[in-house]
Amino acid sequence: MIFDIGYLILIAGMVLSAFGIIAGFWGGRTRNTKLVQSSFRAVYAVAALVVAATLLLWYGLLFDHFELNYVWNHSERALPVFYKFSSLWGGQAGSLLFWCFLLSGYSAIVAFANRKRHQVIMPYVNGVMLATSLFFLVLLVFAANPFKRVGFVPPDGQGLNPLLQNYWMVIHPVMLYLGYVGMAVPFAFAVGALMSKKLDNEWVRTVRRWTLVPWMFLSAGIIMGSQWAYMELGWGGYWAWDAVENASFLPWLTGTAFLHSIIIQEQRGILKVWNVVLIWLTYFLVILGTFTTRSGVLESVHSFARSDVGPYFLGFLVIVVFGFMWLLFDRLPLLRSEQPIDSYTSREAAFLANNWLFTAIAFATLWGTFFPMFSEIITGDRISVAAPFFNKVNGPLFLLLLLLMGIGPLLGWRHTSLASFRKQFTFPVIAGLVVALIVFVVARSLYPIIGLGICAFAAATIVQEYVRGVMARRTTNHENVFVAMGQLWNRNGRRYGGYLVHLGIVMISVAVIGNEFYQQTTNATLAPGETVKIAGYELEFAGLESNRQSNLTEYGARVIVYDRNGNAIDTVVPKRNIYDRTPDQPTSEVGLRISPIEDVYVVLNGWENGGATATFTIFINPLTAWLWAGGLVLVLGTIIAAWPHSTRRKTENVPSVVYATGD
Amino acid sequence: MFRQAVGWLIPLLALLLLCGLWFVAPVQAQDATPVAPVATTSQDEVNSVARQLWCPLCSGVRLDACELKACDQMKDVIGQKLSAGEDVQSIKDYFLAQYGPQVLGEPPLEGFNWLAWLLPVAVLIGGGVFVWSRARSMMRKPQPAGMAPGNSPATPAVSDDYNQKLEEELKHYD
Amino acid sequence: MTELRAGQPLPESLPDPEAAPAGAAPQKNRGAVRAWQGVFVLILLVFIILLAARLVQTHQTEQRTSGVAPAFTFTTFDGETISLADLSGKGVVLNFWASWCDPCRDEAALLEQTWQQEKEHDIVFLGLDYLDQEPAAKAYLAEFGITYPNGPDLQSAAARRYGIKGVPETFFIDPTGKITDIVIGPIVSMAKMDEYLAKIRP
Repeated sequence: MIFDIGYLILIAGMVLSAFGIIAGFWGGRTRNTKLVQSSFRAVYAVAALVVAATLLLWYGLLFDHFELNYVWNHSERALPVFYKFSSLWGGQAGSLLFWCFLLSGYSAIVAFANRKRHQVIMPYVNGVMLATSLFFLVLLVFAANPFKRVGFVPPDGQGLNPLLQNYWMVIHPVMLYLGYVGMAVPFAFAVGALMSKKLDNEWVRTVRRWTLVPWMFLSAGIIMGSQWAYMELGWGGYWAWDAVENASFLPWLTGTAFLHSIIIQEQRGILKVWNVVLIWLTYFLVILGTFTTRSGVLESVHSFARSDVGPYFLGFLVIVVFGFMWLLFDRLPLLRSEQPIDSYTSREAAFLANNWLFTAIAFATLWGTFFPMFSEIITGDRISVAAPFFNKVNGPLFLLLLLLMGIGPLLGWRHTSLASFRKQFTFPVIAGLVVALIVFVVARSLYPIIGLGICAFAAATIVQEYVRGVMARRTTNHENVFVAMGQLWNRNGRRYGGYLVHLGIVMISVAVIGNEFYQQTTNATLAPGETVKIAGYELEFAGLESNRQSNLTEYGARVIVYDRNGNAIDTVVPKRNIYDRTPDQPTSEVGLRISPIEDVYVVLNGWENGGATATFTIFINPLTAWLWAGGLVLVLGTIIAAWPHSTRRKTENVPSVVYATGD
Repeated sequence: MFRQAVGWLIPLLALLLLCGLWFVAPVQAQDATPVAPVATTSQDEVNSVARQLWCPLCSGVRLDACELKACDQMKDVIGQKLSAGEDVQSIKDYFLAQYGPQVLGEPPLEGFNWLAWLLPVAVLIGGGVFVWSRARSMMRKPQPAGMAPGNSPATPAVSDDYNQKLEEELKHYD
Repeated sequence: MTELRAGQPLPESLPDPEAAPAGAAPQKNRGAVRAWQGVFVLILLVFIILLAARLVQTHQTEQRTSGVAPAFTFTTFDGETISLADLSGKGVVLNFWASWCDPCRDEAALLEQTWQQEKEHDIVFLGLDYLDQEPAAKAYLAEFGITYPNGPDLQSAAARRYGIKGVPETFFIDPTGKITDIVIGPIVSMAKMDEYLAKIRP
């Protein structure tokens, strides 16, 4: 019936992608315009087909077509429409289709945006994007068919996993996938550049923008995931170094390293080999991450149900490794460095150190994630590698990275004179020391002293840069402060947007330090009217109430929060949701009072006798709200940095490449 | 000369900072609330020990956050042992003997598991040495500037009209 | 759409400044570079092989076929030490359970009852307590009046060797030491129990 057509559409897409890959690579090599055009058309066609298939599955979900295995497994009649929509990515096959949907969308946009530029590289770009699409289509056709039928029409479905039934689980995967999938684009450009031997700065500039966009989505996705964990899981934290979390973090680390180190390639023409390796590594980690979350090789609270996709992924990984390594080693002579570094106290050196640290952190994270697997294969022992390991290994490295983040912008390109040193470093160093001293006096604990001191140092660097920039514009252009800042963003968006991103990172670091070192917690069993005291607050249980939704019952406990003067400042309602279909899998929602200083975080653990007593776990989380604020600043900074400026297009078409016909 | 001194100083400082932080870290981890044994132990005291253990049945779930029956039983045992006056370390050792290294949340320092800790450090140091030596060799072989036409110019590289303008404005201001 | 003319020479951006590499030791460098390339690829290859091995491993434990029962030794709650090797020549029913495991309770009575019937017939019932605490375990045993040997599976050593995924799981081992049946979940029917026992009678 109509869903069989869906399956046929996937097969057609698969065949067309294969054709498009050949057209792209062969056409790129022989410079055959007809083949090149075919590759473009294949990209558009595959995109259209995959969109159609996705719409079909959405149709099946939204209209309760339980004869489809996927719909039966992940939806039910009573599920709110919002979640029927998001259940598209709630299970293995649907989320693979969603991956492919976003990938083919990206491919089409990239192809269309560059249909008149980079003519030598684009056929290869199309080819690589289609190759990735082909892989996912093969998965969908052979190992995880979203249009598989049950054989009869069940009256109702199994329902969606309760943990997925909240707002965050709708938006977080979308953001994350947009980031993940988008990392295929810069990789495609790198392959294109290598294949066509067109390795000048032109492709670097394009790649930078096409990396920034998925990087932004990836960052947003990771932070939203943390937000979900914080507000839903109720253990007072937001990041558990779980295998799936790490899978999303690894490409972020290499992607960030890449974003920094192509700046240095643009400026100085060095690190060409390393950059290409970095972007390949990001792509590899994306595929690896997709593999680990779906194949069952690593245990995780996030894993999809076990399925057969594992071997396919391994095959693709082998192709990705060997194919790219062959290409890289073959083109190695073309990637020679052009300019040397002049001094250790130069921005180039700082970028090198930045890459060194990011790579070390990425390796440590990868190693820690897979170590239990190695241990079990080699020794048969089961060990767990959780937060203690990662905090101890990555913690100092992140601190050092933060320090570098502050130092980097203060150094000059090529070298920094002693006088410049003194002028640039005085204010930030003083700021850092002052804050470290304050922390020492207020709350004596080594890590926060150093950490918050470094954060203050880095923040002071950013403020200083902004002040200098604004002052410079005022002096020459006589603009007022706001206009000056706007102009900085408009005309030097890369630099000042980048500073904003750094500021976001500083804010996030402050939140992490606050939550990690100053958290307080207590448990209490209360009857209505009874109170518990913690950290200057007094919390009173005011009663249990229940609320019926379409497929669940919400039980909420009203808790009144009093400050140290006895004023009621807030009421929070921690909840426990009992789902009709899966009553032994309740979810909880944290009762949260957010303030810039600290969060009051209340979890409802259970209750007796219909609410005669209720058990709570209460956390006081200092500074944690800065995580979300920092995330917003980070995204804003990225938008400013990536914003295309039409006036800039002209200067960017620096004739380092001569096209047969101009733009 | 200043540059050369700094050349050695920077990696040395980085190494010192890292070592300092690494040795401090285990101390920090222990700083989690020490528990005074009392006749009846409160849930808070039990949880402060539970925060240092991991659920053996789940993956990556801390014991105080785990709602499984098995974990509840473990917390009961913690409560009993605290009431009996045992200290935190002996309770952790007890669970280690019962359940194995899974409860620790990090690889124990023995046998194959040393590799878990050592390899990241080796990569860090090895990578650092590699980067540093490459940077040094790059600095020893300066090429005449401007050799590669169309690429980075001899002056402090700016890729943009506007950036250039900003640099000039900043110079003027400074 | 602007067209590239077929056969057009590649628009070379700049004369490659590195066209003639500065003489000294390019050969030696090439060897070193090749070596590093080889090392890099080898590491990645080993990683992928380990992933494949892990995939196979997880698959295997899902479809465990009968084979030789892994050896184990344990100490019962009463202090007795028992090892599988001592019991060769007898049929062994090895049951993994835990006091916090609800489905285990469904089969506890049947297991004890069968033990009482079969203990004269060279069938031995053994219980291994998985990830559990002694007080709770003893309470569970007392509740169901279980008399066959039970002891904690320390560090889950036996559980790992038998590749169990959860509790309850029961292994039927014949007198020669081969596993004849693996039952995941509680055994609730006497008929089924007889079926399994028939294969392990000495």
